[in-house]
Amino acid sequence: MEKRHKILEIENMQTYYGDSHVIQGLSMHVYEQEAVSIIGRNGAGKTTTLRSIMGLTPPRSGNIFIDGRQTTRWQPHKISRLGVAYVPAERHIFPGLSVEENLRLAARPGSGEDAWTFEKVCEHFPVLADRSHQDGATLSGGQQQTLAIGRALISNPRIIIMDEPSQGLSPILVQTITDVVLKFCVQSGITLLIVEQNYQMALKVASRHYLMDTRGEIVNNMTTRQLEDNPEIIQAHLSV
Amino acid sequence: MSGTLGIIVDITLNSLVLGGVFLIVAIGLNIIYGLSRIMNMAHGALYAVGAYIGFSLVASGLNFFAALLIAPLIVGVIGLIIERTIIAPMRKRSMAYTLILTYGLMFFLDGSIKYIWGNKPRFIELPEFMQGTLPILGTDYPVFRLVTLLLIILIMGALMLFLNKTKIGIILRASSTIPEMVSCLGVNMSYVHMGAFVLGCVMAGLAGIIAGPLTTIDPLMGGEMLISSFVVIVIGGLGSLRGAVIAALLVGGVQTLAEFFITDLAMVIVYILMAVILAFMPRGLLGEGKFE
Ligand SMILES: Nc1ncnc2c1ncn2[C@@H]1O[C@H](COP(=O)(O)OP(=O)(O)OP(=O)(O)O)[C@@H](O)[C@H]1O
Ligand SMILES: [Mg+2]
Repeated sequence: MEKRHKILEIENMQTYYGDSHVIQGLSMHVYEQEAVSIIGRNGAGKTTTLRSIMGLTPPRSGNIFIDGRQTTRWQPHKISRLGVAYVPAERHIFPGLSVEENLRLAARPGSGEDAWTFEKVCEHFPVLADRSHQDGATLSGGQQQTLAIGRALISNPRIIIMDEPSQGLSPILVQTITDVVLKFCVQSGITLLIVEQNYQMALKVASRHYLMDTRGEIVNNMTTRQLEDNPEIIQAHLSV
Repeated sequence: MSGTLGIIVDITLNSLVLGGVFLIVAIGLNIIYGLSRIMNMAHGALYAVGAYIGFSLVASGLNFFAALLIAPLIVGVIGLIIERTIIAPMRKRSMAYTLILTYGLMFFLDGSIKYIWGNKPRFIELPEFMQGTLPILGTDYPVFRLVTLLLIILIMGALMLFLNKTKIGIILRASSTIPEMVSCLGVNMSYVHMGAFVLGCVMAGLAGIIAGPLTTIDPLMGGEMLISSFVVIVIGGLGSLRGAVIAALLVGGVQTLAEFFITDLAMVIVYILMAVILAFMPRGLLGEGKFE
């Protein structure tokens, strides 16, 4: 088997909120152009893991490597400039900014003919094009999620880190968002690290899965095939 | 002698001019607060510094309008030095640190003003064309006040264009809502805080030189303006730009009216107004942090 490039690697990461030791020694990796999910129940530490990678809640010890660079203590803007885009669970669409402004704020030139631009976002997401002058805060949940993903894409990232994109959406919208993630992130070669409690969505978009128990403990690392063959494992880790 | 109409015109225009000066000072304060959660106690002192520098520039023979551009820029540079040396290192600490630091800074700036310019009142000499009056609807209104009003409108228009149409303006607006997300888009928030502080100081300096001809320039002007601008931002809602517009006009109007009828109690009336508004709307007219 060819040796693949680990674009993201975490070694024995320990993250705290104040005195609360939330991630107690997490190690994981994501290969370039791979789509990986983290599955785990409420409060396991999934969001905290993403926040640590992004530099928002830096780990107290351990190592994070992004594209071979030690980024453990880096600030978010520097991590972003390595080509890491973050789609938080809250979506964090800027209120008071129009849809277009939300997008333009994040835009960064990409290379190649098919690089993402404002025009390309409008072309592929007509919901956003139709509302480009509307205040981002007035969009529905599904539209905001689309905008949050569009805002990640327009930065032409190498890695997208996505936190529970299906949260609070109807089954139909979950399907729509799943298709968007598959088409524009996974199949177009952007590395994806996605957190999902909706394991059906996780199985559809990612090819490898980390099962996280409390305090960021990784108890399993399986391919989609292995998980589909052993559904009881998912149940054991998701049932509250 | 003016008739009733003349008095109404006088009071209205005076209210707008006074409210406009409050507005520019208060907006500067609000930009800094809205983006960095810093209550700049030295803001009034910086306003005074703007007025004194304006005075010195004009006294040294510079054209008033050139001074109008240069004085705020000098205050902006002073703001930049303050931000990099004492504000930025305190960024991660609680608001109390910057409150105390800027409070100390206020004394330092006030002392410096007295050291450089002394205690005696100063006056900015206006260009000839601004010295006369213009008859409007039964009153002879001072031309320089009309020019001041025009300048205030221009400054506010420029600020709105800047915030709404430029990339930096959009970054500032976004940063006033979800700063964490702005940093995730690759923006170094340290520069956003720096920019906000400098912009706030430039506004204070601008207000200072604009207000110079309206009042006498003396060492007390900074403290008085600090209090008035606090009243404005508290009434309008901390960090709210639109709230500041409404509140500044309200306070300017009430103070002008009160000064006209009962002179000595003008400020008392303004405080009563603030107390009444806060009793019904504890977070100000437009609530906290509406940076738009
Ligand atoms: N800001 C915070 N301060 C203190 N503790 C926090 C904070 N945010 C999260 N925690 C705690 O850290 C632990 C992990 O939280 P985290 O949000 O990472 O979990 P999660 O796996 O994303 O959960 P969920 O599925 O609910 O989103 C939880 O026990 C949570 O209560
Ligand atoms: Mg979470």
